Amino acid sequence: MKRDDTRAMQNALSAIVKSNVSAESQNWLESIIQSADQSNKISQAFVMVPRKTGKSIIQLNDEQKVLIEEVGISYISNWTIYRLCRVWLLSALNSEDQDKLHATVDRLFLAAEMNEAVALYSALPFLAHPEIWVKRCAEGIRSNIGSVLEAIMENNPYPAENLDEAAWNQLVLKAFFTEKNIKLIVGLDKRANLDLASTLIDYAKERWAAGRKVNPQLWRLVGKFINAEIFETLKVGLQHYDQIEQRAIALAVSQSNYQPAKDYISTFPELKLALLEGNLNWDSF
Amino acid sequence: MCCSSSIERDKALMGEPEAFDISAVKGMKFFDPHVHMTSRTTDDYQAMADAGVVALIEPAFWLGQPRTGLDSFRDYYSSLVGWERFRSSQFGIKHYCTIGLNSREANNESLAEQVMEILPLFIYKEGVVGIGEIGFDDQTAAEEKYYRLQLQLAKEAGLPVQVHTPHRDKKKGTQRSMDIALEHELDPYSIIIDHNNEETVKEVLDRGFWAAFTIYPFTKMGNERMVEIVKQYGPERIMVNSAADWGISDPLAVPKTAALMKMRGLSDEAIELVTYRNAITAFAQSGQLDEADFNAQKNVDLTEKFEGNTILRGGQQPRTDKSSIIIS
Ligand SMILES: [Zn+2]
Repeated sequence: MKRDDTRAMQNALSAIVKSNVSAESQNWLESIIQSADQSNKISQAFVMVPRKTGKSIIQLNDEQKVLIEEVGISYISNWTIYRLCRVWLLSALNSEDQDKLHATVDRLFLAAEMNEAVALYSALPFLAHPEIWVKRCAEGIRSNIGSVLEAIMENNPYPAENLDEAAWNQLVLKAFFTEKNIKLIVGLDKRANLDLASTLIDYAKERWAAGRKVNPQLWRLVGKFINAEIFETLKVGLQHYDQIEQRAIALAVSQSNYQPAKDYISTFPELKLALLEGNLNWDSF
Repeated sequence: MCCSSSIERDKALMGEPEAFDISAVKGMKFFDPHVHMTSRTTDDYQAMADAGVVALIEPAFWLGQPRTGLDSFRDYYSSLVGWERFRSSQFGIKHYCTIGLNSREANNESLAEQVMEILPLFIYKEGVVGIGEIGFDDQTAAEEKYYRLQLQLAKEAGLPVQVHTPHRDKKKGTQRSMDIALEHELDPYSIIIDHNNEETVKEVLDRGFWAAFTIYPFTKMGNERMVEIVKQYGPERIMVNSAADWGISDPLAVPKTAALMKMRGLSDEAIELVTYRNAITAFAQSGQLDEADFNAQKNVDLTEKFEGNTILRGGQQPRTDKSSIIIS
């Protein structure tokens, strides 16, 4: 993410924080950001935020709704005020001394409880020097805690913009395993790749072997990479006669260049018709 | 002496456990204000949820062997506010904790110094409802030093204190714990004196402290004795806990004691106070405990899919276990 974008996002956060906390809490937050001992003060304040701000969901006026849309953070609209304040505090950390910034944030990660971890991972797109948080983000994907995984996987632009392919693929695969809302993964289509597609195909086969269904969103990540081998697996899926699965596979095939698969779909009148009518899209699954 | 022979001896002393079921208190809600879930299995969480435990407090404790470095304290405190809290939430049980340096480990002074430095990082976290469990074990000078320092911390942070009273020389240790708390000008109403018995309860209540009782098989209190204490002293400022840990202990001690109280004719109001309400009143003084939070948590339907991630492996179903024993 470009620095100007980050600044615009930060300004949007400031405006929303100010209209959602009392004058007293606002003074407290500002005195911390302006303190000479900023990084220590922010670390302490980060922990104490809920005591000062309460836990309500933030309220946005029409102007603010437009603003967050413009800077690409409309997902914050259902955040609690303490999550927002924590992210805002971190975004205000002085970024000139990269090592100090890293040490400050890392110490918070080391002692974080669940809601703190959620805020820390939510703050990644708002922190300076995005490249220094890559390892931490990959570590977060190994978490076992649902809300922490959601903070990384859902509505968070950081992973798609910064993770290497192996870590990204791990994120997507784990999101399927832990039944997260795949549609909320930012950059899902853009970062689709052949390795991920073949891993997901293997995962689909395991699910079928256990007599379980496959999340239709899985096929979205396969379409572009259909080859002779993947085609054989798709045929198995199409023979399951699960209408949703069939339609998702048909949509994936329609987005590929692999002609034998396209021809095969045409032998299913219902799927052919659905594609012709053009009313299949990934949001419908 | 091996462990099993000492249990045999205690059985001779305390009587055989006898089977009974807790259906007498079906539908009642319980709060276990002292239980070390880190040492317990997932089956225990299931059984507790089934028995009506809706919330609990996990006091920071020792491992059974001393920790050798600061990082293992840090990881332990982190697990109390992190993984253990999450694990509990998977069973619809709201998990709170108290954070402190326990008395036995206060005796390693160089390590204790370092622990004191990281305590402020943890005591202000969400859901930390007190400093605990702190107090005396051997009643050494080092134990007293760190007990005092932590009382001071509690005073600054405005947090209740959960006081562990010693197994040996209990009566004197309990008196001394209370004296020192008053010296530090703490309000006795913010202090929960734990592991009481017939010998200590009167003075604790008379001096305005909360009196907690641990129902622990073969040692500490039995639930028959607990019924008698509530009959004698009434339900005010008294609370019951399991203190279940890595020893032979029973995470269902609170609901079982409630069932016994019901069978012995105590009123529902009295039972509710000592097994649920009093603990809420005492620890809510932290500002970190809200009954609405654990009622919301209880609404997780265990037979449906758990919210978020789960500790269940693919296809597993929660098990229900209704068998139970009486602890006498
Ligand atoms: Zn204990």
